[in-house]
Amino acid sequence: MVGSVTTLPLQADDTVLLPERIGDLTGLDAYGVGGELLAAFIAAFIVGNLMLAMTGVAGPWAKRKITAAFTDRIAVTHLGPAGLLIIVADAVRLLSKEIIIPENADRPAYDLAPIVVASSALLGFAVIPMGSGIHLADPEVGLAFVFAVAGIASIGLVMAGYASANKYSMLGGLRAVAQNVAYEIPLVVTGMSVVIFAGSLQMSTIVEAQAQTLVSIGGIDIPAWYALVNPFAFVLFLVANFAEVGRNPFDTPEAPTEIVAGYQTEYSSVYFVLIYLGEFLHIFLGGALIATIFLGGPAGPGPAELGIVWFLIKIWGIFLLTQWLRSAVPRVRIDQLIEIGWKGLLVLSFANLILTAVIVGLIA
Amino acid sequence: MIGLLKSMATTMKHALDGSTFTVEYPETAPDVSPRFRGVHKFSQERCIWCRQCENVCPNDTIQIVTDDKRQGEQYNLHIGQCIYCRLCEEVCPVDAILLTQNFEFTADTKHDFVYNKEQLKAVPWYKDIDPLESREPDRGAWIGEGEGDVDYQ
Amino acid sequence: MSTGLERQRQPPVEVTEEELAAVIGDRALARDDHLNAPGFVVRPDDVQDVLSDLKEQAGFDHLSCLTAQQYEDRYESIYHLKKYADPTQEVSVVVPTSIDDPVSQSAEPVFRTADWHEREAFDLVGIDYEGHPDPRRILLPETWQGHPLSLDYDQEKPQIVTLTEHANPIQPDHHKDESDTMFLNVGPHHPATHGVLHVKTVLDGETIVDVDPDIGYLHRCEEQMCQQGTYRHQIMPYPDRWDYVSAGLLNEWAYARTAEDLADIEVPEYAQIIRTMSAELCRIASHMLALGTFCLDVYGDFTAIFQYAFRDREVVQDILEDLTGQRLMFNYFRLGGVAWDLPEPRDEFIEKTRDFLDELPAKVDEYNDLVTSNEIFQVRTIDTGILEPEVAKDYGCTGPVARGSGIDYDLRRDDPYGYYDELDWDVITMDGCDNYSRVLVRMQEVEESAKIIEQCLDLLEDWPEDEREIQANVPRTLKPDADTEIYRAVEGAKGELGIYIRSDGTDKPARFKIRSPCFHNLSALEEMVQDEYIPDLIASLGSLDIVLGEVDR
Repeated sequence: MVGSVTTLPLQADDTVLLPERIGDLTGLDAYGVGGELLAAFIAAFIVGNLMLAMTGVAGPWAKRKITAAFTDRIAVTHLGPAGLLIIVADAVRLLSKEIIIPENADRPAYDLAPIVVASSALLGFAVIPMGSGIHLADPEVGLAFVFAVAGIASIGLVMAGYASANKYSMLGGLRAVAQNVAYEIPLVVTGMSVVIFAGSLQMSTIVEAQAQTLVSIGGIDIPAWYALVNPFAFVLFLVANFAEVGRNPFDTPEAPTEIVAGYQTEYSSVYFVLIYLGEFLHIFLGGALIATIFLGGPAGPGPAELGIVWFLIKIWGIFLLTQWLRSAVPRVRIDQLIEIGWKGLLVLSFANLILTAVIVGLIA
Repeated sequence: MIGLLKSMATTMKHALDGSTFTVEYPETAPDVSPRFRGVHKFSQERCIWCRQCENVCPNDTIQIVTDDKRQGEQYNLHIGQCIYCRLCEEVCPVDAILLTQNFEFTADTKHDFVYNKEQLKAVPWYKDIDPLESREPDRGAWIGEGEGDVDYQ
Repeated sequence: MSTGLERQRQPPVEVTEEELAAVIGDRALARDDHLNAPGFVVRPDDVQDVLSDLKEQAGFDHLSCLTAQQYEDRYESIYHLKKYADPTQEVSVVVPTSIDDPVSQSAEPVFRTADWHEREAFDLVGIDYEGHPDPRRILLPETWQGHPLSLDYDQEKPQIVTLTEHANPIQPDHHKDESDTMFLNVGPHHPATHGVLHVKTVLDGETIVDVDPDIGYLHRCEEQMCQQGTYRHQIMPYPDRWDYVSAGLLNEWAYARTAEDLADIEVPEYAQIIRTMSAELCRIASHMLALGTFCLDVYGDFTAIFQYAFRDREVVQDILEDLTGQRLMFNYFRLGGVAWDLPEPRDEFIEKTRDFLDELPAKVDEYNDLVTSNEIFQVRTIDTGILEPEVAKDYGCTGPVARGSGIDYDLRRDDPYGYYDELDWDVITMDGCDNYSRVLVRMQEVEESAKIIEQCLDLLEDWPEDEREIQANVPRTLKPDADTEIYRAVEGAKGELGIYIRSDGTDKPARFKIRSPCFHNLSALEEMVQDEYIPDLIASLGSLDIVLGEVDR
């Protein structure tokens, strides 16, 4: 399904996308539609693997190291330099475990759920401009596309929760849906305030709009990143995003001490890996989204070729923030979570939207 | 909100100061106190087969077999069942049974933890600590004073 | 907020034995005095009457313990009553029942805490309590045959324990068409039950309709094991294993105090100071763990606070290891004193302990920054798991749980033992009655314990070298007079840890009964979580700070 993303026809005219570039370089262009498809597939393969590799580093290694730093410990040290080979060891360990499927599991749904969770997050990366020319597709509805595919994950979660035939999974699945519904709206509405600024849903346009100079202090140009233009929207988006991807303090769908592991309680072996991958991919997708629409995408000092580096630094910055919050912030209760979503964030995000619209309207 | 930020600042401080509290076992042998009670060491040369340790043991971990002349034949101790209370060492009038600082022992089945007198004798000292020195075994309360029967045989 | 060693309010007027006799009147068949309290023998069908008169008229509002035992010719239930206002005032109500038909009236309508007490008595000894609302076994499985502490019990007989699917306990009477409830097993294997505890929970959505803690998974026959050990040495290693997370010395003290009072042993002053110091070190370690695990339950991961609490506890454990030779299973107290003097070199040990105390305030500040001042933590814990003081008393709650509900009750001050009454420290109480108060009480008790240790260290440092007597001269074999009965309690880490011993003239106790504070604190869970959410059930459970080793014994 990774390859299918690239078939989206809507593209901006001025940006050179990765599939086209690969087509040029390898001469696949000459083979018509089949060649384009192959080039697109190769491009998607590269981006998909980049993201999966990041998840691989994040899950078994980086998360352990970061948590250890917060808790005065050392964490993995034995395999490879700084314990990096634990990634390989963990992969082998997880994949070679026995897969245990509950007796009453609702079979196709139970098997599909991990795939839906993992792939929905992967889809979102298709429209993210990562700099250094790594950009798979640039449809005019880019932002809406990301929100839409990320939302598919909720279906996966509720499928997992329901199909596991476990009460804890059920509670977790229900919590996940309640939470996603409550926080999707503030997330999208806050995202809309950025669209009002940029005047487009297209990712490349949004990134370009942030390249302008906001203010120049002592010869240093501060770019018009929307996090600086509208910090209020940035914070709102950040909070809603943490809830959307189920990170502390909003990790109620998993809530290890309350409902064991929520929707993933009954998953083992490969399925567990898929769900876990999906979770990390969602964190990174959230980070990518924040980087793109609030932090200038791949923008940063130095030549434009460094774009991907800056972009990854921004994503990992958001990941680090999730781990930081995890170390210091208690989980809110499910009723408090819903209350914050509907009574707090929703109202604030609409206020932000209206305010932005008024300000932009006045300036224009 | 301020409290929240204070919490986050506290954990960040810990993350940045880089200090760790972990002992990298088994690369680094952890320090144990001189009084620490680990696996037993038995000395047949010293033992007078008075059976006081067998009597005082709260959960029948020590088994002594003697012949009809009360000469010792077997001294078995189930180190997996032992609760490491040190009463046997405390009661022994001749320091024949000691608890070393050695806490590292493994076996495939629990039956392998039944040590006979040869195995007990072979238990190594931990970091060459002689527990007798550090524990200043004052057995005044056991031997010198006290009323009631003192029966070594 | 807190009171000094001198109680601020007046202790209630002492009730003399004559007045007690007058209250009970001719319902008293005979006297059966115990070493700790006057005992009155009453008929099995007068139990509720007598207890309620003692509660209403004489002010005995604390059913501290119920001991059941079997003699050759009769069964006996002993209700040990105390006053929360002054625990030195005690009275025992002895209820004999016939060997053929051991039926006694239930005390549950008078004291709610009698519910679990009497279930345990039925389970282990075999006395039936008439009018008991829920006469089930509590520690052993439902299908168990026989009562293990009765005299004719055959230990060799194999038992068959079946596994039946758990039914929804409120289905028949609480099931409405419009509200669907769900039965959920929290435990016995669950990340947040602090051991093998099984809470049968009935949920309405995410709200709790009913909880029923199912305990006994860690039942190790501790009472029976103690009955098979000799007073002098063999019992002392076992108390370490009741509340096994670092409260060992506090538990040992419970046995030491009871046995020393039973055998009339004087403990040298120097040994008492060492006991006091080491016991308070244990309390710090235990409260650190309680704080860490509570945060684990609320924060949701093995994250920073848990690790910090563990790290700080580790320092205490090192000190205790230097002193006692073990980190958890100390076996350090002896009847008449302690096993060892401070380790040589003394200065080093004292300095190490002082260093820990000097660093403690900074650590406590850090916890305040991290935990108690965190707004989300406050939102999660304030006004959840409410335990009103009257309810707490009814359920026999003690320790930080009671003090978090504003009950000013601490045996270290109210029923002094050891060296506590010579030292300057405060009893912490909080009026919040919620999870937050219980956490605060524990954190402040850590500071009070540090004060106690500080003063003990000063005393130990200056103690003349030739007067360092660590053990009294105690006979090698202890044989207390036959039919002496005593019930004594100390302030353990979780509350009032009491022990009842009846001697039969041999060197082993005839009946050894443990009054576990966790057992009673846990029984109050059902009151705390009614109509709360699942996360609050977990948090309340964590704030009770139960150790299943002590609940199940």
